[in-house]
Amino acid sequence: MAPLTPRPRLGTSLLRLFTVQGSWNYEYMLGLGIGVAEEPLLRDLPGGPGGAAYHAALGRGTHFFNAHPYLAGLAVGAAARAEHDGASPEQIERLRTALAGPLGSLGDRLVWAGWLPFAAGLAIAGIALGLGWTAVAGFLVVYNAGHLALRWWALRAGWAHGTRVPTALHHPGLRRAMAFTAPAMALALGLALPLGASYLAAPFAAGGRIALAGGTALGLVLLWWRPMNLTGLRLGLTLIAAALVAGWVWR
Amino acid sequence: MSIALYRVDDRLIHGQVVVGWGQPLDASFIVLVDDTVRASDWEQDLYRMGVPPHIEVIFASVDEALRRLPEWEAERRVGILLTGDLDTMAALARGSNRVGKVNVGGIHHRQGRSERLRYVYLTDAEAATLRAIAARGVDVTAQDVPTARAVPVGEFT
Repeated sequence: MAPLTPRPRLGTSLLRLFTVQGSWNYEYMLGLGIGVAEEPLLRDLPGGPGGAAYHAALGRGTHFFNAHPYLAGLAVGAAARAEHDGASPEQIERLRTALAGPLGSLGDRLVWAGWLPFAAGLAIAGIALGLGWTAVAGFLVVYNAGHLALRWWALRAGWAHGTRVPTALHHPGLRRAMAFTAPAMALALGLALPLGASYLAAPFAAGGRIALAGGTALGLVLLWWRPMNLTGLRLGLTLIAAALVAGWVWR
Repeated sequence: MSIALYRVDDRLIHGQVVVGWGQPLDASFIVLVDDTVRASDWEQDLYRMGVPPHIEVIFASVDEALRRLPEWEAERRVGILLTGDLDTMAALARGSNRVGKVNVGGIHHRQGRSERLRYVYLTDAEAATLRAIAARGVDVTAQDVPTARAVPVGEFT
């Protein structure tokens, strides 16, 4: 097994991973950004930067790839480690392909459907309870602490395990996080929704509150009735348009 | 309810499948048909991690899938059948008359492929494979997520 790359290289790779979403396009998705993030970890390959091994590995690193951006470091670290360990190009391609979907799905559930709404729910509840900017600052600290820790863990775990990276995904900490975020998110949003609605409806008269409640109930029914055609965004934009028209007619 | 979606997606199990399609269809099982994944424990392990615990993942080779399609079609639960490439879906469509609709959900860039839709890149041979599947009477459309328009095969091949 190759000696561990000095930590500063992992640090550089981590910094580059912050830009990975900026590289997204339909052709390669995150591929180009993944290659850029992997590059510092490939400089110690036989022949060094400019060598054949480095160029071939970097080329593979930029192939089509997609995953959750916070967990993409796992693939970056694992692919780079596999290159150092002499895995075949086919093995590395297979590893990248197999990691893409699960890392996307895990990240979506852990972050977009878990950690982010959890932290946002707590912040909304805090604002509704009068904490003001303290709640906003708390959100930024809590959310970013979680996502920075996840990014760093993912990159290190990928680098430590290489082609055996599936083992890393069985890490008890990750399992505990998966088990925690879903109920915590439900609790936070369950707290935030009534408090937030009450906070936002406070300036309105009784008629406005009834219209708000009616619009919410109608939206829930429509989302339940037409889940294949309707999204929360489309519904929200439609309701905003309806409210603007109603406000213009009755001004 | 049986298999509600026959999908070709080179990313196999990911968010669009599990959340985008799985939730509105209320899918309880996913059949992943791929000879290589069927033979690889570590890849199966990874793909299982991508789905929530209430969704069962069944890994099958093409031969196993052809044998078990009647069983899955008779299921009372709703399922999604996934293949990672067109040849596998073509083999299923050739070997069974139960494949009535094929959803092209994502075939991405690779050398030799050209862009047909933002999420569909095909070689000329792959486009011909899709037309051949459609010629068997299968309704072939491209649609990445349920809220997008289903693009008929004639518009992108």
